Amino acid sequence: MEPIRVPAEMFRFTSGDRAGLYISVLHAFTEANERLETALSLDDLRARLRAVGRLEALEDEDLTRALGQLREWDLVDVNQNHAENYLTAADYERNNLQYSLTRRGEAAFAGVLHALSVLASTGALQTAVLDAIADRLGDLLTLLADDGADRRIFTTVMELEGHLEALSTNTKQFNGELQRLLRADGADLSTFHEVKAATVAYLQEFVTNLDQRARTIEARIGQLEEHGASRLHLRALRGADLPKISGTDPGPEWLAHRQARWEGLCAWFLPPDGARPRVEQLRLVARRAIITLLQVLDRITESRRRASSAVADFRELARWFTVLPAQDDLHRLWATAFGLSSARHAHLGHPDPELVSSSATWAEADPVAVSVLLRSSGRTERFSRTGRVREVAAIKAARAEQALAERAQLEAAWDMLDTDGRVRLSHFGKLDHSVFERLLDLLGKALASSPSAAGTRRSTTSDGKIEIVLRDPADGAVAQLITPRGRFSGPDYEIEIRAFGGRQVKEAAR
Amino acid sequence: MSNLSNQLVIAERDEVARGIRLLLATPLIHERGAPESFDLVRRRRDPIKKWFEYYCGWSLVVEPRLGYARLAKVRAMADASRPPRRHRSGRAPFDRRRYVLLCVAGAELLAAPVTTIGLLADRVTRATATDEVLTTFDASARGERMAFVDVLRMFESLGVVEVVDGATESYVDSAEAKVLYRVDAALLMRLLATTTGVSQLAVPIDEVPTRLDELLAAVSRERRYGVVGTTPVSDVQRNLWLRHSVFRRLVDDPVVYLDDLTDDERAYLNSPTGRQLVRRAAGESGFLLEERAEGMLLVDPDGIATDSRFPDDSSNAKVAALLLLDSMDMAVTIEQLRLTASALLTRFPSWAKAYRGDNGPAELVTDALAVLRGFGLVRIGDGVVHPLPAAARYAVSGARSADQDNAEAQR
Repeated sequence: MEPIRVPAEMFRFTSGDRAGLYISVLHAFTEANERLETALSLDDLRARLRAVGRLEALEDEDLTRALGQLREWDLVDVNQNHAENYLTAADYERNNLQYSLTRRGEAAFAGVLHALSVLASTGALQTAVLDAIADRLGDLLTLLADDGADRRIFTTVMELEGHLEALSTNTKQFNGELQRLLRADGADLSTFHEVKAATVAYLQEFVTNLDQRARTIEARIGQLEEHGASRLHLRALRGADLPKISGTDPGPEWLAHRQARWEGLCAWFLPPDGARPRVEQLRLVARRAIITLLQVLDRITESRRRASSAVADFRELARWFTVLPAQDDLHRLWATAFGLSSARHAHLGHPDPELVSSSATWAEADPVAVSVLLRSSGRTERFSRTGRVREVAAIKAARAEQALAERAQLEAAWDMLDTDGRVRLSHFGKLDHSVFERLLDLLGKALASSPSAAGTRRSTTSDGKIEIVLRDPADGAVAQLITPRGRFSGPDYEIEIRAFGGRQVKEAAR
Repeated sequence: MSNLSNQLVIAERDEVARGIRLLLATPLIHERGAPESFDLVRRRRDPIKKWFEYYCGWSLVVEPRLGYARLAKVRAMADASRPPRRHRSGRAPFDRRRYVLLCVAGAELLAAPVTTIGLLADRVTRATATDEVLTTFDASARGERMAFVDVLRMFESLGVVEVVDGATESYVDSAEAKVLYRVDAALLMRLLATTTGVSQLAVPIDEVPTRLDELLAAVSRERRYGVVGTTPVSDVQRNLWLRHSVFRRLVDDPVVYLDDLTDDERAYLNSPTGRQLVRRAAGESGFLLEERAEGMLLVDPDGIATDSRFPDDSSNAKVAALLLLDSMDMAVTIEQLRLTASALLTRFPSWAKAYRGDNGPAELVTDALAVLRGFGLVRIGDGVVHPLPAAARYAVSGARSADQDNAEAQR
């Protein structure tokens, strides 16, 4: 980025004793400009000053001096007006001088106004802005297809830039406010609580919605890039109809601006070199803020409880520690007051404690196995306890076997059901129960699907291997299937059951 | 059919048991220091919480976002053998100065969320200077700075202060060292496990040494049991108190002797309900229960829920303790033990270098007895050491002698 350089003396008028007057004068000029009066005489200016709320009397001399100063800073221009009909010499002297704002003056005052508006505004993260960006991108995509829409492309590009600007200013301000909120401690606690809780809710909502919208925008940017952003901008330039006021062609500069903004948009959502999009940073900031805010809330709630008495307790404890005579008493006081000491337990036990009666004395029971080495050389064998590893080989094998069996059963059932062409449901006649269950399952699936125009219903098993095609019986016949557990009756569908893959090979081989 | 759900139940049971024992060893687990332990406790916090609440009446606070779990062990401790230790190579226990500075610094740390070591030292100096009981902290003395650093290292390890910049240790060499801390005031307040504020008792300071036992009981008295021992309380409250007081000993101490319990507690432990609960609690927390005529103890086969192990070879004192225990069939005088110790030192000439001085055997006996006392294996009175029943657990078994003779023959 280019370093920012402000022309010298541009904002001098905002400070010093007479700043109020200067600002009023510039304000008056801007107001007049809005009514398309660009040059003001002293008298006009005086009237305008009253209109912008400067009511106190003002000597001509003061006003002239102020204008002179503004002129010196290159904010105001003066020229002589010879076009009027002057009646007297005094009139001529008074009114022939006409003042107007220079370009720099306009900019300086606009800068002040902008600064004030930033001061007054509050930042917010709005999903609506994201939606608007996505919409405008979508519009551009449709407009690109239309040859005569240069003007609309222009306005849409402008709108898009406006929304992007809103997004980045809002985010900047919101982040600023968020960080200030995180820093501010010891404010009024109840409002603090409320504000932070509300902010957390707001952020959570925003983060939840962020992802999906960012994806949409990203996709649309990608599509536009395929068309070529520079072509888009060229057409927008044609639609803009820029006037050539100052002699040079404004086109290249305008295009450069558009390009810069477009890059800005890409940086937010789809950076070209695979860098992290700024929108993701936004999500990170939001997440972190949620966590920090919650922590601060917890901390406040916690530290409000018995804060003062804790200080007193610590001090009193220090005194107690000072006066207790024995070292052991110190340790006992520590252990009782802080409750931080470890438990202590034996680690050697009998492999099966239940073998020893609970009414036996310790002397009667066997001693635990103390390493022999420890007694003879003062060292324990250095192999650590083996971890508890379960013997899983058998379980694994059993499971694999079971899976194989199930698979085989399934294959068998499919074989039984494979109709090898179109048959009626009644064709099955007698069926094994497990096979019948498969068939019922398939029928259910097929019936759950909606029939095609020809009245066939089609479905496949969830693994996609078996397909069933079902047609309603034309004659309204009723089929009966008999299984070991009972009798099933229903419409006599025309059924075709096919297996994909291996089955066809088998058929071919047949 | 899949027994995945069974596996999950087993995994949960193991994790809960582990979490309970981790908390018994470290009642304050901080995510920064022990991420894995903390994660386990965080995941299984509900069953662990219930276990501690039901059996011990101790509350467990898990703060997933703030990153710590704190088990408030409320209990008037009679055992002085588990002091906090300095975070240095010697692992020496805290002394009086460190305890005092720990408390004063704790009070001063509550004042501001961020501080530097120099500012904190100034505040401690002022606080100790204005109090007539306390000795004024003098940051110009190296020993004092060393103690102060030990205290801050302790706070660091507990997660109460976080070093943002610099290293605490550098303060030992120079009082000008720059170390920036962030203080977790909420956690600092959680360090106090007392149920009644120490300051609320308002005991005149000169009565504290004589009334210590009573005071320890007073600061850990809980209202929900009624006032135990003085006025009659309801059956419900008494039963709750019996359960909690018995289990607090069981899960925290190496051995619980029936003789040390009150009549009510003994009756509770011998009742079918009591026995059944003890077994269930041990099973749920992964302990092995060892019940004997004289008392009972919980064995932690994984050695998680303990600050130290016995028998073990990690120090000469522990080895000596085991060897001395072998020579203690009945009460012996400390004098006799010293003789045994010096015999040991002569028998193993290259062993226990630190105890080779004139006073070596006596020191070895003192340290070894401290170990034995800490594990509830001996009682010492008037220069006589009485082995306690559980000492028989570590007696030399019949098969040993041949092995040992061989081993010694090889030396």
